[in-house]
Parts: sequence; C-alpha cells; structure tokens
Amino acid sequence: MKTFKLENEPKIETGFKTPEHYFENFSIKMMEQLPTDEPKVISIFQKRKTLILSVAAVLILALMIPILSPSSTNTQELDAVALENYITYQSNVNQYDLISVLETEDINNIKTGIVIEDEAIEDHLSTNSNLENLISE
Amino acid sequence: MQEEQEFIKQLLNPKTQNNAFQQLLQDYQKPLYNHIRNIVLNHDDADDVLQNTFIKIFQNVKNFKGESKLFSWMYRIATNEALTFLKQKSKISGISSETLQNKTIDNLEADVFFDGNEIQIQLQKAIALLPEKQQLIFKMKYFQELKYEEISEILGTTVGGLKASYHLAVKKIEAFVSSN
Repeated sequence: MKTFKLENEPKIETGFKTPEHYFENFSIKMMEQLPTDEPKVISIFQKRKTLILSVAAVLILALMIPILSPSSTNTQELDAVALENYITYQSNVNQYDLISVLETEDINNIKTGIVIEDEAIEDHLSTNSNLENLISE
Repeated sequence: MQEEQEFIKQLLNPKTQNNAFQQLLQDYQKPLYNHIRNIVLNHDDADDVLQNTFIKIFQNVKNFKGESKLFSWMYRIATNEALTFLKQKSKISGISSETLQNKTIDNLEADVFFDGNEIQIQLQKAIALLPEKQQLIFKMKYFQELKYEEISEILGTTVGGLKASYHLAVKKIEAFVSSN
C-alpha cells in the first residue's frame, strides 16, 4: 500500500468549474437585484422590548398612585354639613346625648350665639296657642 | 486601510453606491464563489448562496464597524450563509448534514461543472470525514491558499490553533487516502 503524502503530491485542484461567462452575468444579475429602497428592519426582539418596557412603566405608575396622591386616602376629614345631616337623619343620637357631650363653655357660647329679639318672642307667644295655659300655670 | 474606509464611504453614499458595489463584485465575486463552492460543492447551490451573500453585504455594509478588514467580514458572511444553507438543505431533505455531504460528493462525478478525477473525489470524501471547522480550515488553506492570519481573522481562531487543526486535518486525509 502506497503512503499518500499531500505535500509530495502536485497540488490537487478542486476540479470545480463554472458555466461560461458566469461571473460576467452574475455581476449584471446582481446589480439588477439590489434592493433599491431598503426595507426598514425592525427586529421582533426590539418590538417586544418596547412592549415589555411600556407594560413595566404602566405597572410602576399604577403602583405609585397611592404614594403620589395621599389626598385620596387621607382626605377623611369630615365635612361639617355632612356630619350635621348624618346626626340629624341617620343616627339615633338625641339631644340629650349631644348635651352630655357639650362642655359648659360650649353651652354658654350657644346661649350668647342665640340673640332673641323681643319682637320675635312676642310673635312667638302670640301665635302659640298654649300661651293662656302657660300664664294660668 | 485608509483606502478601504474611503471605499466603504463610497458604498454608503447613494450617489457612488452603485459604482462602488460593482467594483466590490468585480474584486470579490470569484474568491467568494470559490469559498462557497468549496463548502456547498454544487454550482447551483453556490450560485444561490453567493447571491444571498452579496445582498447581505449590500444591506449590512452600513453596520460594518471597520474592526476587521472588509475582506474577512465578507468571507465571514459567505461562510455563515453557506453553512446555514447546508443545514437548511439537510433539514428539508430529512437527512443528516454528513449524509447530505456524502450524497453531494457521489453526485459530483455526474456534475457537468465538475472536472475532476479519482484523486479529487477521494480528497473530497476524506475531507467529508473531518469535523466542520477542520473542513473549513483545510479548504481555505489548501484550496484557496489563504494565509493563516487571514483565516484567523475570518474564523476568529488563533494562528496557532489553525496550524494545529490544519496539521491534524492533513494527517487524517493522508490516512484515509492511503487506506482507500
């Protein structure tokens, strides 16, 4: 068996051939095929990345709403009118309950706040049907 | 290098683009064709892959960073295109890439664009037994006579590693041809 040595042999060519005028025709064909208006390549990954980023941004913003707007949770200060209406119509708080809560000072304040004019008293007494009973008592 | 940068500018400028690309084709179509043909073996396949390679080069030249030479960058694209083509072809045919390569070699004798004798067929069969990278290195060094430095830039392997691979490839090929 003869030992084959690549370097002892004359160079072995590939033996590959091309059709006649292949390269001349190839250049022409290639120049015609060149994309004239190059399509913009948007990779799917990039698109997905923007999507993920925007979802994350929305989530972060949503989570920050309670922190950024404490007013929505802490504006529990009662509106005076609402409270008054509640006490008047909704609750079973009666005037004695209210009086028991009031300090003497508050009562004095209320007294001074109510200035009853004489005429008003007269009007009231004249229209009040129980006036005679009261006098007789 | 300066000239190459100037040439790349011409390739990117819409006014000079066509002439520059024509020049690129003139200079590189033959070496790139030979490189691709050595990988895919058949002329029609090499023609397809060469077209795809030049279209890719045209579309991506704007991304060419100049970190390597234009020549090695184009060789890299051609290598990837050729290897991807073979993988797709073997997938479509439902056979392994080794079987596909052996089949292509068997068909070489009947190929009108192959003018080789027994030793050339033997050599191709011996190459087919090598791992993919060794095949590439052997073909680039032996058939295309590229320098180790050039192959190193194309394949990203050190010159030392390439020399060792080439030496190993030659030994295996000699053993195969001697015993057949």
